[in-house]
Amino acid sequence: MEPIIQTQNIVKIFPGVTALAGVSFDLYPGEIHCIVGENGAGKSTFIKILSGFLKPDGGEIQIRGKMYRFLTPHTAQALGIQVVYQENILVPQMTVAENVFVGRELASSWGVINHHQMIEETQKIIDSLEIRLSAQEAVENLSVAEQQFVKIVRALAFEPQVLIMDEPTAVFNVKDAQMVLDLARSISKRGIGIIYISHRLEEIIDLADRITVFKDGKKVACHNNREEKVDLPTITKEMVGREINLFYRKERKAIGKPILEVKDLRLSENSPSISFSLHEGEILGVAGLVGSGRTEIMRALFGAGKKFSGEIFYRGEKININSPQEAIKIGMGFITEDRQKTGLALGLSIIKNITLPSLDDLFPGYLISLPQETQVVEKYVQQLDIKTPSLEQEVKFLSGGNQQKVVLARWLLKEAEIIIFDEPTVGIDVNAKNEIHELMANLAEEGKSIIMISSEMPELISLSDRVIVITRGAISAELKKGEITEENIISYAFGVSANE
Amino acid sequence: MNKNKSFFRNQIFFLIVVIVGLSLLFGIINPRFLSQGNIFAIFQQIAVLGICTMSMTLLLISGGIDLSIGSMIGLSTVIICTLVMNGTNVYIAVLIGFSTSVVCGLINGVIVSKSKCIPLIVTLGMSYVYYGLALVISQGLFLTLKGKFQFLGRGRVLSVPVPMIILILMVLGTHFLLRNTKYGRRIVAMGGNEQMAFLSGINVDRLKIINYTLSGAIIGVASLVLVSRLGNILANAGEGYELRALASAIIGGVTFEGGRGTILGAFLGVILMGIVQNGLNILNVSSYFQTFTIGVIIVIAVVVSNIEKIRK
Repeated sequence: MEPIIQTQNIVKIFPGVTALAGVSFDLYPGEIHCIVGENGAGKSTFIKILSGFLKPDGGEIQIRGKMYRFLTPHTAQALGIQVVYQENILVPQMTVAENVFVGRELASSWGVINHHQMIEETQKIIDSLEIRLSAQEAVENLSVAEQQFVKIVRALAFEPQVLIMDEPTAVFNVKDAQMVLDLARSISKRGIGIIYISHRLEEIIDLADRITVFKDGKKVACHNNREEKVDLPTITKEMVGREINLFYRKERKAIGKPILEVKDLRLSENSPSISFSLHEGEILGVAGLVGSGRTEIMRALFGAGKKFSGEIFYRGEKININSPQEAIKIGMGFITEDRQKTGLALGLSIIKNITLPSLDDLFPGYLISLPQETQVVEKYVQQLDIKTPSLEQEVKFLSGGNQQKVVLARWLLKEAEIIIFDEPTVGIDVNAKNEIHELMANLAEEGKSIIMISSEMPELISLSDRVIVITRGAISAELKKGEITEENIISYAFGVSANE
Repeated sequence: MNKNKSFFRNQIFFLIVVIVGLSLLFGIINPRFLSQGNIFAIFQQIAVLGICTMSMTLLLISGGIDLSIGSMIGLSTVIICTLVMNGTNVYIAVLIGFSTSVVCGLINGVIVSKSKCIPLIVTLGMSYVYYGLALVISQGLFLTLKGKFQFLGRGRVLSVPVPMIILILMVLGTHFLLRNTKYGRRIVAMGGNEQMAFLSGINVDRLKIINYTLSGAIIGVASLVLVSRLGNILANAGEGYELRALASAIIGGVTFEGGRGTILGAFLGVILMGIVQNGLNILNVSSYFQTFTIGVIIVIAVVVSNIEKIRK
């Protein structure tokens, strides 16, 4: 069989950095070819070259045997290459069908849009994928996962021969991610070649026919995963060039007294009541599907979300938390899931992002001493090894891992005793992930208490001292060390009764 | 990596270049332009606009906006003149007029923060409310200060016009407030990301109310300078100041999105507006054409400050 895409020695140089240093790659019809690599390994650049958004500085691209120096977005599309991007490109107010046909609406020769035909054709594609979705639903009413499906349907409407999926499951929970994987499989069976990029190595090993590993703009390995299953450590080793401890096992001293007790917390009149406790030096894992109410419960605890009733005890004493201000006063900190939207002011400097809640502690009175502020921040930037040319750097220019460290530094400077992490390592590359995990373990070692909401099994299993599982707004299980296994967590999270 | 920062510095640099270049150009065409007398005149002309721009900049940086400042000026000045014409002591009248702007700012702040509505719409509505009140009180008539209270608008200290001194003090004050105080830092953070500020323990509702009230107070100062300079006014005395202040701030690199921009930039924006207007006056260009020119400058400035985004 002839490959659909074959590249030879693709080179791409940006000012000061070689993004791609001679990548040769091929893709066959009906194949799922996964690309893995750390952030900055060159995956996105490579995709942009294949989809015509970047011109390579060297090398050549063959599409079905025909040679191209470079592609434009138009030629790429005409050659049957479609990309499902990570970013949201849908118009929320429009229906699924309108989104699928946006920019090339089906219309009569008079220019009148034929809604009926658009809906029919969209529904045909949806049905052929065996997913449940109405072509007439407005996109804003769909879940994140369903919106992802719409993007895939949109790409398929172009009848592509190559489908590039860029981290399609990045924001998904296990169940939804599984649906995307199934979808990818069924699409490949139609003879469409799929290039699949993901940070979730487990799913790649599950899915891929071949796995190509990128590192520093080079292809370092290409495994045939169909003939012989590749194992996780092999790939991670190739990606980072050294053995890293994927399952960070911590050894820690005994856990201390309870620091926070939540009794009969209810978010609204009809929601279930929730009780749990947190101890000194403990990492409490909070598992559950996205949308199970994990985040809402913790936001309510932090005074940032609605709550109806319930009592909170801090070191045995009943307290009221009605705003983040009050939560912070008793030593709590919150690291949100969406760094860009709620965690950081992207346009402000590292310094300003870190010191915000601590201004009153650092500077009595009304004034800020800028030199003193810089000095204080410097210490934390070094301690957490935040890589930046300057402390005045706007945080939007930092990598995901460094951004997360800035948020963490904010609460370390505030000397928070209780830190809530919501998906602490989402969208972060393997190395930074390990650093964050190590930092969290060290914090617990120092006696700080951590609540960690996470969808990542390795993270939950290796870091948590205890795990509570949230199912439909209620705590469905509390798992102690030894009981914390993938099977237990998943079966409780999905509401399946576990095998005791 | 530091590209954006240096680009931002470039915008200020760019403004200075344009201001110096235009000044030299006008100066060559008509040497009178660069005389001390004319420079003072320029500052006298831009004083009220400049003070309004400081108010607008504080709001924009915090993520807000106030389109009612022109009407606030109208209401305050109408109240001052009416009181004076009815025989009230001029200083009491001035104090009441100033307080009017403060209260207007407070009301705007309370509505914006508690209703969670878009400040643009809320303050647009309030601009009609305040202007309407000014019309009701003045009955649409010309009001006068009867020659009292001239120092703030027409006085001089060591031959420097008082409005210029007030403007410079306001610029230095707001610059210091924004850069060196916890309050300033918090409004910048709130403008940069309100959710983040909220989760960092900042009482965003209260901060917004304080900031709108403070901006109202600055408008109060602008009202006093204006009424003192003009001596007699109509209810529409402040008409157009909101948009010109907004334009000046944006020319200076302050953005609609909040969290970005500096007082220095906004001040340079005001100076540029003043120089263009004055220079064209000196060159005897018709005021119709001046309006056109100022419009062109605003659009160029906005496009230039957005080049970074376009490139992406």
